[in-house]
Parts: sequence; structure tokens; C-alpha cells
Amino acid sequence: MNVLLVMIPLSLLLLLGAAAAFFWAVDHDQFDDMDSPGLVPLEDRPTSSGEQEEQRAP
Amino acid sequence: MNTPAATSAAAVAATPASSECWHCRAPLPRHDVVHARIAGQLRPMCCHGCRAAAEWIEALGLGDYYQLRTAPAPGPAPAGAPQLDPQLARHVIRELDRERHEAMLLVEGVRCTACVWLIERALGSAPGVVKVQVNAASRRARIVWRHADITLPQILSLLTRTGYRGLPLHAKALDDARRREFRDALKRLLVAGFGAMQAMMYAAVLYFGADALLDTSTQELFRWLGFVAAMPVVFYSARPFFSGAARALAARQLSMDVPVALAIALIYAASLIEALRGGGHVYFESVSMFVFFLLAGRYVEMRARHRSGELTDALARLTPMCADRLRADGSIERIGIHELRAGDLALVAEGGIVPADGVLLSEQCRVDEALLSGESTPIQRRGGERLTGGSLLIEGPARLRIDRVGADTTLAGIAALVERAQAERPQLARAGDRAAALFVARVLTLTVLTAAAWTLVDPARAFEAALAVLVVSCPCAFALAVPAAITRAIAVLARHGVLVVKPDAIQALAETSQVVFDKTGTLTEPELTVSDLQTFGGTTPDTALAMAAALAQGSRHPVARAMVRAFASTPTCTPTLDAATHVTATAGLGISGELAGRRLRLGRPDFAQTPGTTPIDDDQVLLADTKGPIAAFRLSECLRADARAAVDALRAQGLTIALASGDAAAKVAQVATRLDIDQWRARQLPAEKLAWLTELRAKGARVMAVGDGINDAPVLAGADVAVAMMSSAELAQASSDIVLSGNRLEALATARATAIQTMTILRQNHRWALGYNLTAVPLAALGFVPPWLAALGMSLSSLCVILNALRIGRQAKAMRRPARQLSGAPTPMPMPSQRASLVP
Repeated sequence: MNVLLVMIPLSLLLLLGAAAAFFWAVDHDQFDDMDSPGLVPLEDRPTSSGEQEEQRAP
Repeated sequence: MNTPAATSAAAVAATPASSECWHCRAPLPRHDVVHARIAGQLRPMCCHGCRAAAEWIEALGLGDYYQLRTAPAPGPAPAGAPQLDPQLARHVIRELDRERHEAMLLVEGVRCTACVWLIERALGSAPGVVKVQVNAASRRARIVWRHADITLPQILSLLTRTGYRGLPLHAKALDDARRREFRDALKRLLVAGFGAMQAMMYAAVLYFGADALLDTSTQELFRWLGFVAAMPVVFYSARPFFSGAARALAARQLSMDVPVALAIALIYAASLIEALRGGGHVYFESVSMFVFFLLAGRYVEMRARHRSGELTDALARLTPMCADRLRADGSIERIGIHELRAGDLALVAEGGIVPADGVLLSEQCRVDEALLSGESTPIQRRGGERLTGGSLLIEGPARLRIDRVGADTTLAGIAALVERAQAERPQLARAGDRAAALFVARVLTLTVLTAAAWTLVDPARAFEAALAVLVVSCPCAFALAVPAAITRAIAVLARHGVLVVKPDAIQALAETSQVVFDKTGTLTEPELTVSDLQTFGGTTPDTALAMAAALAQGSRHPVARAMVRAFASTPTCTPTLDAATHVTATAGLGISGELAGRRLRLGRPDFAQTPGTTPIDDDQVLLADTKGPIAAFRLSECLRADARAAVDALRAQGLTIALASGDAAAKVAQVATRLDIDQWRARQLPAEKLAWLTELRAKGARVMAVGDGINDAPVLAGADVAVAMMSSAELAQASSDIVLSGNRLEALATARATAIQTMTILRQNHRWALGYNLTAVPLAALGFVPPWLAALGMSLSSLCVILNALRIGRQAKAMRRPARQLSGAPTPMPMPSQRASLVP
């Protein structure tokens, strides 16, 4: 049962990591628009504007 | 060519829609059709504005928009480049840093996600624009740009070229309360989910291996791990319940938050005491799951609420940002609307919005007050008459002396009326809350009694028994009974195109006994149609219509638009028609011009007719040449395609149908007869409609009001259930409980059936919760329920409530009327008798 002493803190750490990643995502507008990004893969040609936009975004 | 383009082209050719504009899907004019080469193929466009928009979209490499969209594009925005003076800029622009500026726009005309995609791409590719974020739900765009490279007016004009109109909102809007609320709720929900899962895992160890495998110290460890996992759930995720309870208690009220917060706090505290004592059972997982379920319900409710309009949006849309003030020396200065004072002279250009209430100084003008009154026909105003702020000037220009600004205007008055009516609305949910609070009070008393009784009998078991009572009777089932059913109903209704803004509305909807419809824009299409055509001197109706359409081509007057549309929809018309020349429009009277050498006049009988011929009804539109009348047109509104079916379906459910309109008696009577509506009232002012509604309610009727105009807003706010159309004025939407997206009236009957089912299930849930508690609590008080069984019982009772709520959509499906064609835009259905007379 000693393995619990490693696994449980590890699971808690992973949990903290996941929560931190999610908080980051929410604060960086990843959940603000749930509809339109789904359309982007339907584009036939990749537009250069989209890439520029991402590069410029802070 | 790529396949999607080919298929959509085939689809266009196969349907009668080939007479539609490729860009905005308006009917094409019979001549002067412009064409644009899109994806290598020539596409017809209704006007140069649409062609410019389509070509520009194509040139940017965004042609995919036409395949991605689910709704037609808005027509080109009214001419006139958006202007922004430095005074105003201060209010709407926020400086992010030295280089970058930021602004929030309210974008009109966003209909689907393809619009969002188009705007983001089109603006994002402009040099100097750093970031564009469009939210289709709130119709807001946040734009960040480098002010050295591009200015806000330039960005606005780019937006106008795409066919959307952007209104800069006050910089305060950037700290969007809704966005903050949404993000907070999402974070809290996720933390509760994570915490509940972890706590449940640690608890499962205690449940299944407690005695056999684990020694006491390991058990202790898992109890404390549960405590750690539940800590963020109780102290972070559950905070809204605590603050809500505190607010309610401060206001000396009992809201649902009070029992919920009390239960969370007590279970958590009791479990902590148990953990400290080192014995007994802890309930950290129960409390975490409870918080998670409740938060999930609230999250769905919040999403539904955010999807609908807000009062501030409505006012921002109606009130122009700036006004043109006439100086004493005759020069014009452009000022921000907040700088306008009573007594100022203001100039409104044709197509502009009247900035505030005032008296007309020009001889005459014609204004569209549809946003204020909901009635579509523009109104003639003569010098000395009053103009209302927010109305659109169709024919102008107009010079007016402003006499009321800001909070004194009619528009602000209506907004205030709406707010007051909203505040007076009976709170249906309050009764449920009070019942739950009462239940909690009883349980607490019982817990104390149990503890006291056991202390006398066997002090060692007192704490355990008291805790079991508290847990087994936890108001979970009560607290979840309403949200679970309502949440499910909201989701089901949203799929039918019924957006529930205020969850209370579901109960009210189920209890509705009477429906009061508005006419224009609700039962009828917002636009006019030619309903009757009478010709003189051997002219065929089609030729007469072609002549009228040729004259009316260039005008934006609703009657002229109706002529053009009627001509475009005639199947037998010949496309060989000369354009009219020397066309002049006389304000308020009609249009004259020359066509194939004949001097024609189209308009009011007294304008078109040469004196001394047969008199024609005054409400008709006459086409005449110098020799005499050629044709007389009667215009009417046409019913929405599903109006009849919707009214019948509601009547079949036992509802009384009534009609209240601000329109003339003859027009209202016609619609009422077509739909077999006995109760109707015409020429109703908003206050009169409200009075009638109050009268009906005083007689015991539960009234549902369906409307679309701003004049309906007070009525909507005063009804038991208020339903607004998606296309309706923002203010009407803001004061409604339910918004019909896609303007499908038929969904109302389905919505009511679902609401009734929801209430049935809600009552079942309540009965179940009560029955369970009545059985479990006495057993727990007597000490027969071990703590693990108490926790299991509580979880299972909550689960039952949720599973029962999930049945809501299923049965409603069976109750729905036979499948109808839902795809595609509903085509307006003219009244049959009139259709017959149009094509003899």
C-alpha cells in the first residue's frame, strides 16, 4: 500500500495541472466562441489572413 | 470548379429561387440585374451594393462564406460612411497600450456563424487590425488595432462594405459583465466537477475496502483526502450559493440559495468534525456532487439567458451616436448625442435616425416609426408636428427643434415602462423556494430533536444519527427537482427554436389560458404585398404591374418595394421592359415618370388621377397616364405561412385567442376573420393594450402575449408569459420571457405541450422527493440508517430526479404535430382569395 503515498500526491498534482490549464484556456478566450471555429476546417484553402492574425495576437 | 459551388448552383437553378440575388437572396429586379463573377461563375445580384459586397468577399478569398452560411446575407447597409468625431472617440475607444486601441462594436445583421467567420476574416486581414472577436450570440465584436495604421472609422467602413453595420458601444461594454459571469460560471463548474470526481474516488475506497483491506490510519488518510478534494468545491465553486443566501437573508427573504447554502455548510462542517474525531463517516463526496449538479443546472440557465437581448443593446441600437446641430450662423456641426440639449436645432439627413424628440420645422417629411410602433407603414409628418427620437427618416431632409433629450424622450419613457412592468411581475418561483425553505427548517428542527433524543438514550450514537438525518434528508431532491426539469425543458425547447429567457416562464406557459397576438410582424409578415389589382381600359394586369414596377424601381418606399416584389413573383411576366425615365418622387403622394413615351403617375388617387374621371377608393394606389387610370392596386399585409396552423394548434389546446393591434380596424378585422379570431381590438395604443391585458388577467385568465414592436414592450412585460419574435425590436426581446428564433409561430404549441409535460414531471419529482424524505428521515432518526446508506440514498434520490427530468424531450416528440417542412426560409403566404385576383 505504500505505492499510494506516491500515486495520490501524483493524482492531486495532475488535477492541479489540469485545472490550471483549463483556467488559462478560459482566460484566453478559448471558450468564448463555441460555434465559428468549427467551421474553419471546412474551408477549402487555408487563408493567409488567419495565420497572420494568430501571429499578431498577443 | 469545386463541387460545393456546383451543387449550390444546381440547387439555385432547381428552385424558383433563381430569381433571387446571389448575395442577399432578395428577389431580383426584372431589369438592371447586375452580375458578379463568383468562383468563376456569373451570379445575379439585386443591386450594385450586393455586387460590391460579393466581389469584395470573393477578392479576399472568402468565397466559402456562401457555402458555410445558413442564412442569407444582410443587404448593403445604408449609404454614408460611418463617421466618428474625436469627441465621440473618447467614449468608445480604450487605449490598451501606446500602440494599440480597443473598441467594442454591436454588429447588426449577424445571423449565423458564417457571418462571424466572414467578419473575423474580412476585418482580420486588414492591415493594422490586431485582433477581431465576434460573438454571434451577443452580436458583439471586440476589435484591437494599431492606431498608427488604421482608424476606427476605417474599420467601420470595412464592416459596412461586408454588409454589416457596426455600432461602437461605450467603452464600459469592454468590461462585459456577461462575459465575466460566463467565465466565472465555467470555472466554478469545472472545479466542482474535478473536486466531485476526486472526492468520489476517495470515498469509494472507504465504501468498498474500509474494513477488510485498510487499517485505521489509511482510512484516516482517505478521509482527509476527501476533505482536501471537497475544499475547493465548497470554498470556490459553491460561493455563489453562499453569497446568494447572504443577500436573500439581508433582504429578509428565503430564496433557494438559503437551504442549499445551509445544507452545504452543515454537511461539510459535520463531516469535518467527524474527520477530526477520527471515527464515523464523512460526506465530502456527497456535498461535492450536490454542488456540481446544481452548478450544471445554473450554467445551462445562464447560457439561455445570455443568448437573448439586453436592454442596453436595445437603446444603443435605437439611439444614434451623434447628431448634426445647426449653429446660429447656419453651419452644421456634428456632436455626440449626449451633447444635444433641448432647444437645439438639429438636421437629419434622409436615411438618418432622429436623434431625440422634437418639433419638425421643415415643411414635411416621412418617417418610419416601425422600431417604436411596430407598424410598418411610414408616417407623413408636416411642419409643427412632433418627431420621435429613434425613428428613421425615409424622406427628408428634416430640420427639427429638439425639445426633449436623454431620459425625457419617448424612447427612454418606454424603456422605463418596461423596467417597471418587469419589476411588478409576480415571482412564480418564490412559492417553490418558500416550500423548500420550510422543509429545511423542519429538517433542522428534526435534526436537533434527533440529537437531543439520542443524547438521552445513547449519547455515543447521537452525532452519527443526527448527521444521518441531515444527509439522508438533504434537500438535494427538492433543490434539484425544479432546476433539473427546467434545465432539460430549456434545452429541449431551444432545439425547437424556442429560446426561454426567464426560466419562470415555463410554469406560466403551462398555465396559460389566453393568447393575445400583435398583428403586424407577428401574425403577418413585416412587409406589404400587393393583394388586389384592378385594371382599366383593356390593360392586362401583368403589363400594369410591369409599368408600376418600372416606376417604383428606385424607391425605398414600402409601397414601391411591394410593387417590385409583386412583379418579380409574377410567373408570366416578360423581361423585355424599358427602364422608366425622368422619374421623380413627390413626397407623400407618389412617383411620376416616362415609360415608352407615356407619362405615368403612380401613387395616391388624388395625385395620380387627372381630375374629372371615376373616383377611386382613397386607400388604393393608382397607376394612371395623361388619358386616365390604368390600374388600381390594393396593398395588404400577408399572413405568416404558419400563422393559421399556429393559431389552430393553440386553439386545439383549449386556449382563447385574441388580437390587439395599433392598426386600422378594417385591416385587423381582415386578419381576425382569416384566422377565426373573435376577440380583437384595433387602434390600440400601448397603454390601452396593457389595460386590456390587465382586464383579462383580472378575470382570471393567464395571458400569453406575442409581439414584436417596441409598442408591444410594455404589454409583453405586463403579461404572464411574453413571447417576442427573433426579428422583433430589441426592446421587445429584452422585455420578453421567450424568444421565437426563426420566427416560427408554430413552435408555440409545441412549447406549451413541453411546458405542460415539464410541470407534470416537476410535480412527480416533488412527490418523489417528499415520499423519499418521509420514508428515509424517520428511519434515520431512529438510527436504522448507517451513514453509508444515507449517502447512497441521497445520491440515488438525486439521480432519480435527474433521470426523470431527462424524459421531458422524449414524450414531447410524440406529442408534436406531424412533421412539416422545416428547412429553408418560410415563404410568405398571401391570402388565397387575393392571390386569385392578382393572377386572373
